[in-house]
Amino acid sequence: MSEEIRILALVTGAFGETGGIASYNRAALRALAADPRVATVSVLARRGDDRRGIPGKVRQLAPIGSPVGFALAAIVMALARRPQVVFCGHLHLGWLAVVAARIAGAKLVIQAHGIEVWRRPRLRRRRRAPARADLILCVSRHTRETLLAWCDIAPERVIVVPNTISARFTPGDPGPARTRLGLAGHQRLILSVGRLDGRERYKGQDLAIGLIGELRARGRDVILAIAGEGDDRPRLEALAKAPAAADGVRFLGSVCDDALLDLYRAADLYLMPSKGEGFGIVFLEAMACGTPAIGLACGGASDALGRGLGQALAEADLLEAVDRALDGPAPDRLALSAEIHRRYGEDVFAGRIGQVLDRLEIA
Amino acid sequence: MCGINGVFAYQSCADPPEASELAATSLAMRARGPDGEGQWWSAERRCALAHRRLAIQDLSQRAAQPMVSADGALVVTFNGMIYNYPQLRAQLAANGARFRTTSDTEVLLHLYERHGQAMCDHLRGMYAFAIWDQRRRGLFLARDPYGVKPLYTANDGWTFRFASQVKALAAGGGVSLDPEPAGIVGLHLFGSVPEPFTLHRQIRALPAGHGQWVDSAGPREPRAFASIAQVLAEGAAAPAPASELSARVRAAALESVEAHLLADVEVGLFLSAGVDSGAILGLMRDAGQSRITAITLAFDEFNRSSEDEAPLAERVARHYGARHVVRRVSEAEFRADLPAILAAMDQPSIDGINTWFVSKAAKEAGLKVALSGLGGDELLAGYPSFADIPRWVRWLRPFALVPGFGAGVRRVGVALAPGAFRRRPKALSLAEFGGAYPGAYLVRRGLYMPHELARHLPADVVRDGLARLRPLHRLAETLKPDPGSAIGRVSALESANYMKNQLLRDADWAGMAHGVEIRTPLVDYALLKALAASLPALTPGAGKRALADAPSLTLPQEVVRRAKTGFSVPGWSADARGSMLTAPKGLASRAKVLELMTLPEAA
Repeated sequence: MSEEIRILALVTGAFGETGGIASYNRAALRALAADPRVATVSVLARRGDDRRGIPGKVRQLAPIGSPVGFALAAIVMALARRPQVVFCGHLHLGWLAVVAARIAGAKLVIQAHGIEVWRRPRLRRRRRAPARADLILCVSRHTRETLLAWCDIAPERVIVVPNTISARFTPGDPGPARTRLGLAGHQRLILSVGRLDGRERYKGQDLAIGLIGELRARGRDVILAIAGEGDDRPRLEALAKAPAAADGVRFLGSVCDDALLDLYRAADLYLMPSKGEGFGIVFLEAMACGTPAIGLACGGASDALGRGLGQALAEADLLEAVDRALDGPAPDRLALSAEIHRRYGEDVFAGRIGQVLDRLEIA
Repeated sequence: MCGINGVFAYQSCADPPEASELAATSLAMRARGPDGEGQWWSAERRCALAHRRLAIQDLSQRAAQPMVSADGALVVTFNGMIYNYPQLRAQLAANGARFRTTSDTEVLLHLYERHGQAMCDHLRGMYAFAIWDQRRRGLFLARDPYGVKPLYTANDGWTFRFASQVKALAAGGGVSLDPEPAGIVGLHLFGSVPEPFTLHRQIRALPAGHGQWVDSAGPREPRAFASIAQVLAEGAAAPAPASELSARVRAAALESVEAHLLADVEVGLFLSAGVDSGAILGLMRDAGQSRITAITLAFDEFNRSSEDEAPLAERVARHYGARHVVRRVSEAEFRADLPAILAAMDQPSIDGINTWFVSKAAKEAGLKVALSGLGGDELLAGYPSFADIPRWVRWLRPFALVPGFGAGVRRVGVALAPGAFRRRPKALSLAEFGGAYPGAYLVRRGLYMPHELARHLPADVVRDGLARLRPLHRLAETLKPDPGSAIGRVSALESANYMKNQLLRDADWAGMAHGVEIRTPLVDYALLKALAASLPALTPGAGKRALADAPSLTLPQEVVRRAKTGFSVPGWSADARGSMLTAPKGLASRAKVLELMTLPEAA
């Protein structure tokens, strides 16, 4: 079969939208468009409007913020385009995707990211919708397990398709970032990247700041660089002023893609004791740049930090693990990077999306 | 025979299987296979298979498992017995297959090579196996039509695992043990855990008569290759004249017993005072086995009472010239064994004590294989349910047409006479469920009724468990397609539920705990096919009479006349039943179970 499959994608955001979910959606839509069996991918998004970098087969309509307008548009698209596959990028759009797929007689694929499926939805229609899917793609094993706890669907239909990592992330010269941070030769750099979100506070930056205090109290000359912005910053900055941590924490605010790449390459260790990662793409980005990573064995982070790659630990074990990691022999950055790309590279991801199409058995 | 397990890291981002996990799962099944053990790893180390062997067919080392095909492209780990393997072997050899062993295991490799997943259509027997296909980098698993042999799987989204026992998968340490409310609720409704559920969400049974394929795109949904209801429906569509019943039962039962005698070790028999095992003994003799060891269980408490099976079994054994071993069990021995019974029990069940002791006796008598009469009641309408359920459905169907009638009756009844209905919860449920076969069956076999669950389990477990288990829907699924007759419907319900989830599971764990392979000639897909056309017209008792008359030297009349008592166990075992239900972390109120066990089977 060549260029016969028409796909309708209902997403909260894809091209022109920020955040992990939109980023995953873009990767999935690009991979779908790259599959030789696919003719067109029509994208209907709630937010985000930037057509740059959209592959030729993908058409993203202007975003429709209103739920009613979005639903109407989805139904019109289902009638007009007659897609064979409806790709639903967020569980909250699940019921609408069920209707659209039924109208079109299409197969339904739903994407499950993280927190949105970790709790049993109170609304019945939100619980029922995913059970109608032909396939549910989960970013991590943890997301899959939590979904299966409340969703009555054959477990074989719920598969893990983890995030992918761009080929840009490779080991490189640590010099530029170290210079910009003004680090002395003997100073060690620990990096943490993530939104400083006052409501969620799950990324664990406060825990990392506490650890820096303890490490410095042991006489280690170690610097924690926190990349990311958010309304929790004043609180975290106050924490960092504690005598123990003093001068050991640098808040970098939002950093551009290139600067972030330099930071990953310069860090001796990536530390993010987050309690709420659906997957933890940043762990992969750091490790793809050859930097060892440590996180909590919590949520989807255990996947990204898989056995022998990074370390997923209990909170009580963090300090000693970080201490040991700073002492240990220099890591083989090239080997770590190669293994990450072998498991999560873009071509591997494209292969997995191809398998999704295989499993739908579109006649 | 045997215990099998394996780990397949199918997702390319998954960590490779750990040797320690493979070994730990296998070690947990050492009782299933005391005669040998083996492991096999794929060249890429993404798939690992293990096997514990109870040697029964081709006792040599050549037949050790996992067994690799001559070209290295296929590997099998197999638990069970293929009864038609001599025929299959001859056919395959005639078509150019070259055999290196005389075991039934090797037949599986050649069959897969030729037929792929359609191989199961050719197999007769009890089996659970996994075949690694190196060319396609995938794993094919299958389980026999009745589910005589167990096979459990666990898929975490990266890695697929399987084993013959739930506890063995758990022992590996790689599987989530989060509870499955559907399994817990099912245990309370039926007294055993209804497949495909287990007590753990991630662990599921591969359904009986299904095959499953797993490759880098993940495990596919299991596909059925056999259906008891389908065979019964086909039989009902072309019914055989009642006059042929005796001849058909004689021919088919003899043929099945002959097939089940295939072994390179002695095959014994579990002999009760009932028709099924007695007839099998007679047929073993007809099949040409001269030296037969028959084991009968006797409880001290029943000595000389009507429940004592030993005297009548003794007569039957003498009648057919078998060596008879009566194994007496005392309360003291029972209490001493109870911890071991609970440890060996794979999933909690309210039964299995008899099978434990009779298997223990078989091992003491030096037997590795024994035939059992299990399944005769399900096939030949031996249970009272074959009369009760159709009658209830006939009477209650009109009421079932009134929406909410049954539930209303129950609520009114509970309000008016709460005490009476607490004592006889099934009476009320009959109005609610008795108007259709699945509901009537639930009432007949149920331990608790759905409306009672809230008294024994947390509300969210009941809510989630019932929603996922959907007991009536699940029972109705075992009636698709419609078996076409009242007898056929009850037979399908009994075979695919009580027998599969309770009797066969108990026979597996209790037999395997003693390294004894229990074979069930009356639980045989070929036998079912041979008799399906005769079942719709069975009159009460006719099926069992035909079986009693099947041996050339027919069964003594007093065995046929003896009321169907089943295997009974003394009152002290109720204590054990209570601990069985409460064993997995206090799932049920023990007092309630004890109370329930002493109730007569309500209706």
